[in-house]
Amino acid sequence: MSIFRKAIEVVVPAGDRYPGIDSRRRIAVAWGLLCFFSCARANEHIVLSDVTEETGITFRHTDGSSGRLYILETVSAGLALFDFDRDGDIDIYFLNGAPLRGAKSKVAPTNALYRNEGDWRFTDVTEEAGVGDTRYGLGVTVGDYDNDGHPDIYLNNYGPNVLYRNNGDGTFADVTEKTGVGNGFQVGAGACFLDMDKDGDLDLYVSNYLEFSYEKHVSSATGGYSVYASPILYPAAPDTLYRNDGDGTFTDVSKTSGVAEHVGRGMGIVSVDYDNDGDVDVFTANDVGMNFLFENDGTGRFEEVGLFTGVAYDLHGDAQGSMGVDCGDYDNDGLLDFYVTSYQGQLATLYRNLGDGVFEDATLTTGARGGTLPSVTWGTSFVDVDNDGDRDIFIACGHLLDNVELYDDTTTYRQRNILLMNTGDGKFVDVSEKSGDGMKVKLSSRGAGLDDLDNDGDIDAVILNSRSEPTILRNDTPSKGHWLQVRLRGVKTNRNGIGAHVKVIAGDLTLLDEVHSGRGYQGHYGMRLHFGLGGRDRVDRIEVRWLGGGTDIFDDVAADQLITLTEGGSRTGRR
Amino acid sequence: MGNVQGRHGNTTEAVRFWKKGLELNPKRADVYSGMGWLAMRKGECEEAILHWRKVLEIAPRMPGVHNGIARALTVLGRKEEAIEELEKDIQISPQSSLSYFLLGQEYLQQKKYEKAKRNYEMAISLQPDLPNAYYGLFTVCSRLKQRAKAREYMAIFKKLDAEDVTKEKKLLEGRSEASDDLVSMRENVAETYMYAERIYRALGQAQRTEELLKRAATLAPKNTECLMKLASFYRINERLPEALQMYKELTEIEPENGVHYRNIGILCTRLKRFADAEEAFGRVIALTPESSSGYRSLAQLYLDMDRELPKARELAERAVVLEASAANYFVLGWACDENGDRDSAISAVKRALELDPGNPKYRQVYEHIQKSN
Repeated sequence: MSIFRKAIEVVVPAGDRYPGIDSRRRIAVAWGLLCFFSCARANEHIVLSDVTEETGITFRHTDGSSGRLYILETVSAGLALFDFDRDGDIDIYFLNGAPLRGAKSKVAPTNALYRNEGDWRFTDVTEEAGVGDTRYGLGVTVGDYDNDGHPDIYLNNYGPNVLYRNNGDGTFADVTEKTGVGNGFQVGAGACFLDMDKDGDLDLYVSNYLEFSYEKHVSSATGGYSVYASPILYPAAPDTLYRNDGDGTFTDVSKTSGVAEHVGRGMGIVSVDYDNDGDVDVFTANDVGMNFLFENDGTGRFEEVGLFTGVAYDLHGDAQGSMGVDCGDYDNDGLLDFYVTSYQGQLATLYRNLGDGVFEDATLTTGARGGTLPSVTWGTSFVDVDNDGDRDIFIACGHLLDNVELYDDTTTYRQRNILLMNTGDGKFVDVSEKSGDGMKVKLSSRGAGLDDLDNDGDIDAVILNSRSEPTILRNDTPSKGHWLQVRLRGVKTNRNGIGAHVKVIAGDLTLLDEVHSGRGYQGHYGMRLHFGLGGRDRVDRIEVRWLGGGTDIFDDVAADQLITLTEGGSRTGRR
Repeated sequence: MGNVQGRHGNTTEAVRFWKKGLELNPKRADVYSGMGWLAMRKGECEEAILHWRKVLEIAPRMPGVHNGIARALTVLGRKEEAIEELEKDIQISPQSSLSYFLLGQEYLQQKKYEKAKRNYEMAISLQPDLPNAYYGLFTVCSRLKQRAKAREYMAIFKKLDAEDVTKEKKLLEGRSEASDDLVSMRENVAETYMYAERIYRALGQAQRTEELLKRAATLAPKNTECLMKLASFYRINERLPEALQMYKELTEIEPENGVHYRNIGILCTRLKRFADAEEAFGRVIALTPESSSGYRSLAQLYLDMDRELPKARELAERAVVLEASAANYFVLGWACDENGDRDSAISAVKRALELDPGNPKYRQVYEHIQKSN
């Protein structure tokens, strides 16, 4: 155990820090006018309102627990936000647990798909859509693996995984067996579709958490109370990589790709072209161990470079209990940065991309630590909540030890989520306390998805809470800036434009984003890219660099619309 | 009570008791220090700093306080102030590898790589197995494009980090095997008994004090502090065989600790178990040959027993060579006297008296042997 970590531990209950107890125990961009604009806006309040009750969503998460404290109970689950029926609004897919040994359930809990009817009303269409998987849900991602224009769902479960093919008529078909992506019987985590070999179809990266079976279950206790055992007591597992063969089947290439050479306790993942070399790499947030950054040589062969790039450990060289990860260009320097969530007593970490294949831990210098220290942090997102032209950070919080208050009153099982507002000068301010009633909800959150649920040009949020109802947050920020949403349509490249880089240039502002499948904490959202533009009502230029394709340029685009850009240069807009 | 509450995770209650304690005695720097660390854990850095500033008002050179303030300032992004505090900490605790490491971290974030490097190197010189400092050096060398050096430091970091992970895993595995955390829980309860014992001891309630210490010892049989307290309790109350038993148990837990053997020797002498005392003092000399106490004690034993007198003088002379203390000179004087060397005896006792002029025993003996000369 390292010294920073030991020191943090000593600070508290065991010890010598208590009076009388014997010591024996123990970034700034030269932004000109924008800076002025952003700084001025920094004083205005973001308002996120809790509208859960009015949505008609009755889903309630279960972790399948029976009091035996199986470790996977603590890590369920992620969620997905995507437009499954292509009606123009974002629908919600919640993962659910399933009864584990010793637990009884009259009706088997299922995952749930809610169709967005508009006006903040959602209808449960799970059964008719055929996506009510009853296995133990942990991670989910979405991508159009067969390039038919309809987004498909992949479930990373405890037990066999599931690939639901979207039939395009509101229903899905389980094609797991046919496609060969069941992944045996493992403890799942994050997953993402990515075109690793730039051949125009989506491959699939599946993160595996650790080796668990009822026989391998480890019991543990703290202060005389039974607790969930540390994941370090379970063997780590290599991740799985499937190559899309383009004929409706996949081949397991974990070994030949180099991915299986590395074992970790994988959780949230994101695929991203971090080094801007035109291929997708993969960041795997690992629990209680170094994070992995798999660098792609452009053909789908990966080298693990986490340590060399500086993202394996935090500033002090300590491995964290990493949970979720998102990437985004927070300082608008044209490079994608990472934000990684973690365990109590550790700061969630901002890794700033320095541009030469190296990252620095900028958590302390930017204020991106927020109030994360006493919390366990999970879902996360770089997202411009106030449309001021820079990305803020949302963090879902909640302890995994349901009885933690009994032996440590410095933290709680149910915790408020955190919102860090980007002040535009490369710094963040924790505005959680004054950002509306939605940020006052105290539950034990896990996955979080952020997207524009009501198509009003700002980003709303959906949070999955362990053993509880979800939280739906409507963005009611009063004075928003202009915005632009971009949806990509690949022709030669993959249909959703996953992995494409989109640069939006509006006056002095240049924004970069990338289309992802799978991000945050074992979930998926944001395939429709959202750019806050502040006071700028027109975009001078949009550059789209298609993964494995060319670059299209779209000039003079009006703000405040959702625009669909098709590979080859055509565009359609909707206000 | 605050400490007991804190130990059991009830920090709100702990703070309540500590504040009450401060009302009674506002000069308890250690209480403010503990409140600082607690605030830090909650992420309340400003509050932590306030508590630690209070500590410095009371005890300006208390070790680790500037380090704590620096850590809080670092989290708050107040880098320059943090550096100042770390430098102050190093003045007070020049051996603080943590403060050198944290200074390295501050300079790394400021991109002052050479300064960062120097501080990491200093941390390593003080603590060669500090993985974090090697990680710092790896990072600095990577930024300076010193790739070979970076790889070298990375290799050491990886090795040390792997060792730490193995240790942590073993620790956790041990816990889960031994009826989960029963052992550590018992140790915690034992600590609570020991806090309670202090209260009863201060009230002069010997029976209750003994009872609580015995309970603590039963729950945590390897808690050396508890056994030492029990031994001390028995000695004060002239229950020498029970005290002897405690020291014997202590030697089983800490077989390399000469102090326990010395205490055994002293007790055996008082119990007139001279052979056992001789063996115990012999162990003290074997374990701590550069310390004078074993030689002096054994010399004194021989003198008490009126045997091995030439050896007693040799031992006393060795004790004086190792440490020219009043006690050692006094025993040397005695040994010289017993060996018929009156002049040397007078000279040695005179030296003892010069070193400890207020000691009536030395004066009395000095005057006596001068008279009888």
